[in-house]
Amino acid sequence: MKPRWRKVFLDLIENKARTLLVVLSIAVGVFSIGVIAGAYAIISNDMSASYAANHPANIELRMADFNDDVLTSVRNMPGIGNAEGRRVFSIRVHPLNSTTWTVIDLVALNDFPTNKVDLLTPLAGNTNPAKRQVVLEKDALKQLNVRVGDQLVFELPDGTTQTMPVVGAVEDPTTGAGDFLAPPFGYISMTTLENFQEPDLYNRVYATVAQGQDDAAAISKVAGDVKDRLVRSGIPVDRTLTSKTHEHPLASTVNAILGILMALGVLIVFLSSSLIANTLNALLNQHLRYIGVMKLVGGRNRQIFIMYLTLIVSFGALALLIAVPLGGQGAYGLAAFIANELRFNLLGYRIVPIALVIQILIGVLVPLVAGLVPVMNGSKVTVLKAISGDLARAEGKSHHRGPKHESRWEKFQTNVTLALSKRGIHIPRPLLISLRNTFRRRGRLLLTLFTLTMGGAIFISVFNVRVTLHDYIGAIGNYFKADVELDFTQPYRTHEIQQLALQIPGVQSVEGWQGLSADMLRPDGSTIDSLNIIAPPAQSPLVQPILVSGRWIQPGDERKLAISESALSDFPNLKAGDFMPLKINGRKEQWQVVGIFQFVGQEGILAYAPLEYISQVNDLANQAVLFRIETTQHDRASQDKMAETLDHYFRAKGFDVLQSQAGLASLDTASQSLDTLVTFLLIMALLTATVGSMGLAGTMGMNVLERTREIGIMRAIGAVDSIIMQTVIAEGMVIGLISFGLAIILSFPFTYLLSYIVSLAVFQTPIQTVFTFTGYLIWLALILVLSVVASILPARSAARLTIREVLAYE
Amino acid sequence: MKPPLSSPETESKQAASPHSDEMIRLHTVVKTYKNAAGEFKVLKGLDLTIRRGEFVAIVGKSGSGKSTLLNMITGIDHPTGGQVVVNGTDIYSITESQRSLWRGKNLGIVFQFFQLLPMLTLLENVMLPMDYVDLHDFEERPAYAMELLEMVGLKEQADKLPLAVSTGQQQMTAIARALATDAPLIVADEPTGNLDSKTANHMIDVFDELVRRGKTIVMVTHDPSLTSRTSRTIIIADGELIDETVVKALPLLRHRHMLEITRKAERMTVQPGETILDCGQPVDDLYMIERGSVNVMLADGKRGKLLAHLKAGELFGEIELLRGGKAIACVRAGTHPVDLLKFPRQDFLRIIEESPITAEALGKIVQDRLEEHRIKSRA
Repeated sequence: MKPRWRKVFLDLIENKARTLLVVLSIAVGVFSIGVIAGAYAIISNDMSASYAANHPANIELRMADFNDDVLTSVRNMPGIGNAEGRRVFSIRVHPLNSTTWTVIDLVALNDFPTNKVDLLTPLAGNTNPAKRQVVLEKDALKQLNVRVGDQLVFELPDGTTQTMPVVGAVEDPTTGAGDFLAPPFGYISMTTLENFQEPDLYNRVYATVAQGQDDAAAISKVAGDVKDRLVRSGIPVDRTLTSKTHEHPLASTVNAILGILMALGVLIVFLSSSLIANTLNALLNQHLRYIGVMKLVGGRNRQIFIMYLTLIVSFGALALLIAVPLGGQGAYGLAAFIANELRFNLLGYRIVPIALVIQILIGVLVPLVAGLVPVMNGSKVTVLKAISGDLARAEGKSHHRGPKHESRWEKFQTNVTLALSKRGIHIPRPLLISLRNTFRRRGRLLLTLFTLTMGGAIFISVFNVRVTLHDYIGAIGNYFKADVELDFTQPYRTHEIQQLALQIPGVQSVEGWQGLSADMLRPDGSTIDSLNIIAPPAQSPLVQPILVSGRWIQPGDERKLAISESALSDFPNLKAGDFMPLKINGRKEQWQVVGIFQFVGQEGILAYAPLEYISQVNDLANQAVLFRIETTQHDRASQDKMAETLDHYFRAKGFDVLQSQAGLASLDTASQSLDTLVTFLLIMALLTATVGSMGLAGTMGMNVLERTREIGIMRAIGAVDSIIMQTVIAEGMVIGLISFGLAIILSFPFTYLLSYIVSLAVFQTPIQTVFTFTGYLIWLALILVLSVVASILPARSAARLTIREVLAYE
Repeated sequence: MKPPLSSPETESKQAASPHSDEMIRLHTVVKTYKNAAGEFKVLKGLDLTIRRGEFVAIVGKSGSGKSTLLNMITGIDHPTGGQVVVNGTDIYSITESQRSLWRGKNLGIVFQFFQLLPMLTLLENVMLPMDYVDLHDFEERPAYAMELLEMVGLKEQADKLPLAVSTGQQQMTAIARALATDAPLIVADEPTGNLDSKTANHMIDVFDELVRRGKTIVMVTHDPSLTSRTSRTIIIADGELIDETVVKALPLLRHRHMLEITRKAERMTVQPGETILDCGQPVDDLYMIERGSVNVMLADGKRGKLLAHLKAGELFGEIELLRGGKAIACVRAGTHPVDLLKFPRQDFLRIIEESPITAEALGKIVQDRLEEHRIKSRA
């Protein structure tokens, strides 16, 4: 090996700590981008592929009970590919060894092995349940905390219970795929329906279209036609849902989140670039003397340039060795985490070629770009400058003998100290050293601050976004202000239910609500989408809408409704006062939109109309199916208890209770889903914070290395270990605190941007941004801890330096 | 407010140690470095005592071990063997960190390259040791530091950064910093190495003043003009101290020759009035007076005519060794016991042959003494 290549090799292996720092600086960026790019590619491919592999229904019709004849007619309708009938009903269940009730949706279907739409993926046991047997979806297994073979106790409409075994487990990536709030599912055969006191009839159609399975308009048209035919045949359809075959219903949401992650990944690459630039700058500074010697013995600029470029590429190669396999694993892990949360399957572990290419490019190019300027400067240094002992002292400035002028910054620093001391504020010199040292390497400081500030701003923003999302969910809670939602399977007299409920201690008021299913029509009369109209009393205090425009419903309103903002996707120009064609109970009517309110777009289009009018439409005067109950206690535990009490109470009195649940139940589930998202963002924020603190550790390490002589001087004039450590750590903390200040400023635009993107992705609507101190306080604590941790190692090595080593360094 | 520099009286109160007169005592100090080539002994069992109030120059060539010796005294490096006691503290019996604090309180160091902290002003640099050893009230430190800067003539520059003042001013600041904690011992490593002669002289004036006030100063230097102003010169060569009698008697010899003489010279003590050399006696050794004095008497007869009175640091026997023959005069101890170093003739002649400057200087001494002998013999 030629001596110069031997030098390159020795530079790589001799100073292991430095090599490790450079390699890790590169590796962290390569790893992050590998994880994100890999996960992006895996998810965007597998999410839809695995969804499509399960033959998802393009059309789901939620309707009144129907039999095989109707199903056959649906199958024969034009445009329909496959159609299956199922019966879906909610039921309360608990494991045999527990008494905690959970509401699940039981899906009854005819022939498990031959089903062609919304396929179930067998996981364990027998997935073709016989009579009186249940198969559970994997989420239901987890939620109920049962295993295959365990017994489940179901509560029947008449209050009696049925115990059945769980014989198998399946995964159902399609049913409820687009619903964050979907309950867990269980599956039974149609023959078991009688054991649940349910009729042997279907109430849902799951159908695929024959053509245009990825054409939303075509699917919508077929769905509208089918619904029309059914309604004309006297079978009311409550709700129509459509989706494409090769697009997971949550694809747009996930893509938006992945977009944010990709942006964060690019940012991390930038951050790690500045880390690399910092480290390489310091390395080249240390090597200037050697470069001088090499030049002295005949080394040319080009040779030296190539030597150091080779060294940098070697660093990159080592980083790739670490980061590529880890990045691959991380990408799959991240994809698996998201897949699990959103209930879709991955197609198996694999290396994503594009992620690999991006990693290699970044692993090689970023260090080269970051190191190019220091290497060029280093290779051009003159022999005189390189071998003179003044490089370290001059700190990059040209050195000449005799007094120099203090820079403006230096004058400013000393003037501030003087001004303070004149006012009686004396800063101890050890602290003064820390403060002034902070600003000595301003280029390095800026790069370090950049990484830490970005990490901090993102971290703080994630907390703000979390609160923003929860605040919005809280605001959505204004539509669900009842403490208990008590739903019956048939209408009852409102006064009767009120009288009975008010006898229970703690119940304050009871409202009877109704609902109405309608279709929104195009001018040509075809159906666009279904519309759920909720009908509370117009003056109900249990709904406090977030109005975007117009007004809320009033008691005298007839054919008037307030509609959710998500209607704007179908009617972009819709405004309060406009008329909207609706089909209600088979009749086309013009309804006036009196107001537009905000709601979770994911939940479809929702409208409110006054009970006073809807009860006339439904011909159910003074009756209701849905009852909303207000109690004296509003916490979740009290609500759960009251829901339980009401459930038993009304069942005992012979009422057909469908479900009784706490008002906060849906919101809590929604909050949990959001927390998953926030956790995910937080992981990314922590990754940026890690890069930032690595940057700080590197900076402090380099600072200590460059200030070895000064540390020796401090020791020589009486500084004990603890003071040396304090000086170094204080400098780290000053940097941390400055970055905190900058992160506070930057967190505002970041929060607005992130809130906007996330709310559009999750709620399909921009929401009011909310700020919280939590993120700021946690980041302040974290940055102080990170600063101390990042400075401790350099500080310890500084304190361990003996003056003899310092003199040797000199 | 107490003055920044204590008087000799307060100094003496502070020196409550077992060896109250000794500032520095090295006892068989050995320092060995190990590297790939093997072990290398830099200090070979040094014994050295420096008393309070001395102004000592340590001289040696590059690689002689003088920096290592200084590192031993300042507690900067660890000896491989032996003991170093400075101002009553066995400095290697305490931890590195304790030693830093001890150093801050007990000695001030002046480095060749000044070693001021570049981010602090001159005043702040001087205050820094006070902060480290927690000396004086926090609020009073600027006033103390300012007095010290005033003493070295830098009051007007106090708020400037080191880079904004000349190298001489930086070194003066370094001296002020060394005095900041009123340490009894100042150690200076080539303090004039980067200064012009005028500034160097000013610095030595300051050192003189400090010695006058009771400080002990130990200074490593190459500059002969500085050694002439110190009260004592210690030469180190090849890791060993050269006997100070040899240095005084044969100052122009190369250090290796001095070291050879130190190693080979035989020590003898002669009682008062006792004859060391008789007239006409063959002379086989060179004699160097370490302590006491001798009388050189004319050889003719009993009158015992006094030719010369030689004191510590002077030599005799050189005429006979250089010219051959027997003693032309006789030498007797003075009124006190005399300690002598005796160096054999053959080695002396070889060394003189290898050192023409010394031969020339000795030749002049011989001529002068012969002339005096001739005049006094006639009288």
